[in-house]
Order: sequence, then C-alpha cells, then structure tokens
Amino acid sequence: MSKEKYLLHLYPRIWRARYEEELLAVLESCPLSFIDTIDIILNAIDAHLHPYLGARGMPLQERIILMLRTLRRSLIVLFCAYIGFVLAGLAFQKLTEYDDFVAAARAHSLIGTSFTLVVIGSVLALLAILAGGLPIAFAVVKDALATKRTGRLLLLAVPLLAFAALLGMTQGLGHTVVGNLPKPVAGMYFFGGFLALAVVSTASVCIAVARSTISDDLLRFAIFPSAVATISMLCMLLATIFWGLGLQSAVPQLFSGNDGIMGSSTSGTWLGIIAAMAISTAAAVVSLVRCLASRSAQYSVE
Amino acid sequence: MSTPNLGRFSDPSILILASLAGGTKHGYAIMEDIETFAGTRPGPGTLYGAIARLEESGLIESLPSEERRRPYRLTAAGITFLREQLSSLGTFAALGLRRLANI
Repeated sequence: MSKEKYLLHLYPRIWRARYEEELLAVLESCPLSFIDTIDIILNAIDAHLHPYLGARGMPLQERIILMLRTLRRSLIVLFCAYIGFVLAGLAFQKLTEYDDFVAAARAHSLIGTSFTLVVIGSVLALLAILAGGLPIAFAVVKDALATKRTGRLLLLAVPLLAFAALLGMTQGLGHTVVGNLPKPVAGMYFFGGFLALAVVSTASVCIAVARSTISDDLLRFAIFPSAVATISMLCMLLATIFWGLGLQSAVPQLFSGNDGIMGSSTSGTWLGIIAAMAISTAAAVVSLVRCLASRSAQYSVE
Repeated sequence: MSTPNLGRFSDPSILILASLAGGTKHGYAIMEDIETFAGTRPGPGTLYGAIARLEESGLIESLPSEERRRPYRLTAAGITFLREQLSSLGTFAALGLRRLANI
C-alpha cells in the first residue's frame, strides 16, 4: 500500500468512501511534503469530529441511521471515558485519605479548595451520568424483555456480579489467601482484580446498550447530561493538577514522599492520575463533539 | 438561506468558491488555480475538508467523475453566498482605501 493510501486510512470510513479516490488522485499529482502530511493528519482528526462529512450523497434514511449510530457510539465511548476517570479518581481518593494529606488540605487553601472542587465535580458528574444513563438502562431492560433476549439482562447484571466478586475478594476467600501474601503482591492482586472487574462490567454494559433498540429521543436527551459530565471531568482534572502543584509548593516533603499507590512515590502517583484523567477527559471531549455534530446533522436532514 | 458556518475553513472555502466561479474544476485544478490567483496553496487535507463542508452546505455540487477525478461546480446558493461575501469584502476594501487616501 502506498504511503498516501496508508495516510488516508486515518479518515473515517464514510469520508473515505466519498473522497478517498479523488484525494489520492490529487496526492499522486504532486509530491507529498511533510507539511501536507501534517495537514492530512489534522484534517483526518477533523473529519472524525464531524462524522456527517462525506454522507451528503447517501439516501436520507440511511443518513439519519448513520448519525444515530454515531451518536450512540459516541455516548458509549463517553461512558467508558467516565469510568476511566472514576478509576483515576478512586486512586486520587486513596492517595488523599492519609492524615497528612487531610491536614495539608485543612492548612493550605489551594490544596483544600482544589480537593473540594474534585469532590463537587465527582458528585455532579455522577448525577449527570445517572440522569443520562438510567433512562437508557431502562430502555435496554424494556427492549430485552420485549424481545425475550435475556442475555442482555445478564450483561446488565455483570456490574452487580462484579461488585459481589469484589466483596468476595476482600472479605471471603480473598482475605484468607491474600492474608498470607506479601503486602505488594496482595496490593497487586486487589488492584489487578478490581481493574479487571471494572473493565468487564463496563464492557458488558456497553455491549448491552450497543445491541438494544433505544429511541432517538433518549439518545438525544443523553447529550446534555454528557456535556455536564464532560465539563465536570475537565474541572476535576484542573483541580487535581492544582492540588498537586499546591502540595508541591506548600508541603514539598509530602509531595516528594512515598505515599502513592502501593508504596510508589506520591509525585509519580499524582502524575499517573493526571495522565489517566487527561486521557479520559480528552476521550470524553472528542465524544461530546461527535455527539453534538451528529445531532446537528440529524436536525439538518429531518 | 442562512449563512453556512464554515468555521476555520472559511478562508479556503471562499478561495474554492472563487475558483469555481471561473468554471467547473476537480480538486487538483482548484488547488493550482488558487495558487495562481491568490498566491497561496491550500494543503490537500484542508482542500478536501473545505470541499466536504461546501458540499454539505449545498454551496457546491459534484458532477459525475472523470476517471478518479470528480469535478465540482457552484450551486445557485453558492453563487449567492460568494456574491455576498465578495461584496462585503469589496465594501471593506473600499473603506480601507478611502481611509488610507486621507493619510
């Protein structure tokens, strides 16, 4: 495959179906410079953010279905991004629960205020996800009962089963087994298990939503709560950054200590949390832009 | 008709519309033409980003493809839009020149 054709694979499928051959003809007429390569990459990203581009020639019904499918996928990705953010947030909560950090939050306003903002943001984001997600979850249950597809109900039950498994890990069998393990190994056991259960639960919910019939109105309704959740994530990310910077300047000995997750450095854990939150927030922002673009495209054709 | 929001593609879009005002052209010919009359060459990604938006907005339309190349032409809405944009630019240019004459 030529370099040009490989580059054009960065564009969405719909866009490629409409413009790929033409653009390839243009690229074959002039040598591809480094700047042109960057231009193509940036515009491929832009095409992903505007999923309606290239769909102009499609039949109206097909176009509406495409936009609804894009909206649903974007909402699912946004939900996954939120779960990723929650996992990073749990690590932050674990990091800040020690007495020294609580005392630092009380003594220094920047640390205290930014921590409070993270708490407020987490409540807001949770409420927004529940507001947008619960009607969709009910729709999945309703559809599963109507079509007698109990497999989907089982998929929705996976998070509950995962939670029960987590309790089992901590209190039942896990306690006796892990009790004899060295502390770092036990920590890895819980951390790995928790992460795996979170991934399996999220994937199950996403598959159930992807396979169910959900009304257009419910999907459109979920956009506003998704926007609130995304803005909350952005605020929490900024607040977490300020929390670390405040800690570094006000209590440097605490920042350079080893109170991070599983005995790692505090600064390293903080950076890891920031990276995870930033990736999740970026994914949520991209999904939100795609949601809004597909909704406006639907309105323009309806 | 409401004014289409072409965002950051506004400038390349006007150049493409101006190019197509001279007759139907395919992508590469548009790029060459813009380079000739405006002294700037839009990148291939930007060119097709703008073409896709113009087509979506109904300002240009494609004709049946000639081999792999597809020519484009202005629609009636595109002609009106370009006329409005160029008139507005003309007013702006005339005002600027009048003010410069007084310096």
